[in-house]
Amino acid sequence: MEMFTQTIAYGILVGAMYGLITLGLGLLMGVMKFLNVAHGTFIVLGGYVSYWLFTRYGLNPYLSIPLVIVVMFLIGLVVYKVTLSPLLKLPSVGNRLNSSMLITFGIIYVMDNLMTIFWKPDVRSIVAPFTGRSLEFLGTKLSITGLCGFAVAIVVAVALYFVLGRTQFGKHVRAATQDAEAASLCGINVHRTYLISSGIAIALAGVAGVIIVSSYSISPNSGLRWLLVAFVVMILAGEGNIHAIVPAGLVLGLLEAVGVFIVGAPYRQVVALVIFIVILIFKPQGLFRKRRLTYG
Amino acid sequence: MRSHPGSILGLAVIAACFIVLPLIVDFGSSTMNILILLFVYVILSQSWNLLGGYTGQINLGFAAYFGCGVLLTHLLWKSGVPIYFALVAGGLSAALLAGVIGLPTLHLRGAYFAIGTIALAEALRIVVGNVFPSSLSLPGSYASNFNVFPRYYLGFGIAVLAMVSVYLLVKSKFGLAMVCVRDDEEAAQVTGINTFKTKFIALLISAFLAGLAGGVYSFNRFYFHHISAVFEPTWTFEPLMAVIIGGSGTLIGPVIGSIFLIVLSEIFVQIMGEAHLIVFGVLLIPVVLYSPSGLVGWIDWLRKVMGGLTVKDEQ
Amino acid sequence: MLEASNVSAFYGDIQALWNISLAIHGGEIVTFIGSNGAGKSTIMKTIAGLVKPKGGNIVFEGIRLDRLPAHKIVELGISMVPEGRRLFPEMTVLENLEVGASTRAASRLRYSNVNWIHELFPILKERSKQVAGTLSGGEQQMLAIGRALMAQPKLLLIDEMSLGLSPIVVERILQVIQEVNRTKKLTIALVEQDVGIALSVADRGYIIEHGRIVVEGDTKLLQGDGRLMEAYLGVDLKGKAE
Repeated sequence: MEMFTQTIAYGILVGAMYGLITLGLGLLMGVMKFLNVAHGTFIVLGGYVSYWLFTRYGLNPYLSIPLVIVVMFLIGLVVYKVTLSPLLKLPSVGNRLNSSMLITFGIIYVMDNLMTIFWKPDVRSIVAPFTGRSLEFLGTKLSITGLCGFAVAIVVAVALYFVLGRTQFGKHVRAATQDAEAASLCGINVHRTYLISSGIAIALAGVAGVIIVSSYSISPNSGLRWLLVAFVVMILAGEGNIHAIVPAGLVLGLLEAVGVFIVGAPYRQVVALVIFIVILIFKPQGLFRKRRLTYG
Repeated sequence: MRSHPGSILGLAVIAACFIVLPLIVDFGSSTMNILILLFVYVILSQSWNLLGGYTGQINLGFAAYFGCGVLLTHLLWKSGVPIYFALVAGGLSAALLAGVIGLPTLHLRGAYFAIGTIALAEALRIVVGNVFPSSLSLPGSYASNFNVFPRYYLGFGIAVLAMVSVYLLVKSKFGLAMVCVRDDEEAAQVTGINTFKTKFIALLISAFLAGLAGGVYSFNRFYFHHISAVFEPTWTFEPLMAVIIGGSGTLIGPVIGSIFLIVLSEIFVQIMGEAHLIVFGVLLIPVVLYSPSGLVGWIDWLRKVMGGLTVKDEQ
Repeated sequence: MLEASNVSAFYGDIQALWNISLAIHGGEIVTFIGSNGAGKSTIMKTIAGLVKPKGGNIVFEGIRLDRLPAHKIVELGISMVPEGRRLFPEMTVLENLEVGASTRAASRLRYSNVNWIHELFPILKERSKQVAGTLSGGEQQMLAIGRALMAQPKLLLIDEMSLGLSPIVVERILQVIQEVNRTKKLTIALVEQDVGIALSVADRGYIIEHGRIVVEGDTKLLQGDGRLMEAYLGVDLKGKAE
């Protein structure tokens, strides 16, 4: 019984993190129909920024989050301007999707290798006084890094909910997503909206990276692993369903925890893959009904 | 390419060079190895092109099929199976893998299909890495019998085979179906093409060829430090790059792209080491954005300017 | 107020407008009529900036429009109710209205303008929290017009207002259009399939055929000329004289 609650607790903490990882990917896909295959690589980049701040200045990773957000946001703006915005001129959405995949696939190579040059291929993680320690709660051990990751995930998800739902900018984003031409007829600068959304999406990836470098570890090519997690979560959440992403992450986390409990740790990712394939076969539109984003 | 007497003659001459020159001139083993690698790339890029350039299914986990071929060929050959059988078996295993995974995933639209392929390649890489954690090598007897010539001709032969079969396929009715699926899947369905079957068969053939490429590669190597390395995304990226830069959806494009790739990596390896991949990544972006028909597109433009037929016209 | 000179427009390689020259005067209601595919909507879209003209220019209150992106044109004071309404289907009625006031100038008056729209179309106030995709055709059209009005335009373009709507709804909308034109001095350009409706509410009209302007004039004169009506529009207006 105790093992079971431990597994559940673990699944929830990891699941929230999985949701956090996916938010940036889902935003880009939902708003602009771009598939950013380099998402995992941006996550790793965010992790490196935090790592660097930690080792150089002793800055607590969770406190470094605002800085990481700023840096990654700027990077996101550049990436959009240089590589993604030309895609908007392409005729069909399918074309756009394919080309965005190819381009971001190329970005993986550029970034992976740049990171390898700058930071060497070693595996890095942040080892702070709280690393590896856990809190006892109702008989289960909850790791501090896991709890912090959970908290960050919830805060970010709620923040995103409010930005999209209550702010003028959020309405611009939603309008541009639903009908870009009509949005421009309302006076919305759709390109600038896309630009800022891209910045936000990459910033989200960066935040995820901070969590990962504190809870796990990163190396220049570990991005792919997180990309796959994000893909699975995105599919579980259903297309365009940004607010279902964290719940979907929780589902994946729980399923995975239970699966690993049965099968064993080294095959964790294979468990994810199997879940992925099962979902694809039986419920490709995702587990969550497409919710009308009414904010009442 | 239309059966232009000129181009057939040209091809024959080039083929003859490849066949005869190594016998006359001593290229040295490193050059021969580079050429063999070129053949591997040509086969790989042609097969990716078949699926991606002609049928419009972007596969980002192609390394899975390649790696499958490498692994199986190596294991079979090591246990005494003659190399030719091992090769074919490698190709078939890759096709089998593609078929098994393809059945559920081909129903998906482009993005999800691509995601599925990446997931497959990664999963395979991890599983293989766990199953074969230590290095794999061939017994010493194989090394002492090493002769680069059969490897060269085998590689060349399979490269030719790949190109011929892609050519025949593209020219057939099936090829027409593939292009229709690429250009507008819904419209293709409406005109009675079984789009699923088309995609599936293209996938199987493409995977088979990739597996063969893996076999050729395997034939040429005796030692794998980590066998899982052949499942790495680099083996997807490089043929993809070759196709896109050379010109997707054409026959000659992947070949040009592969040559370009090999030449560049040889140059850059001297200067930058692994970082040559950065250059490729950076190159890929403007090519995708601004000149989607790649180098073939440039050649076409030149030919148009000179008043001749373009490659696209001929195809 | 707005002048277009020798404007030509293309959809890809296909030419839709040929050397169009027209003028819209402040405070009037102008209509563009013609058969299907004649190019009326294209004129609207070109003015609004959704289609970029090749050749010629469009000037609005001294500023050239033809090089500007659509959202900048909205900022200058031109707002369009597009063909097919193009509401944001997953946003509520209220949100659709709010988004209509996305320019800096309009957003300052957002709150009071929402109240104004609610007065013009009370049903929209009732349905404030309802998602736009679930509204009826007439309600959607009212919302689309309301949304365009939220942008504080000086010139309102309406593309195909009456399509698919019941006469009662059309009547109500026409009333609103005329009221807004009178009280707020809002200039209106209307593209209409239904010639009767168009001529009943407009001051001046242009008849468009094959991407060219063939007739221009006061609506009273146009109405009176039965031959004209029949020739270009296949319309018999004898029974509809004032």
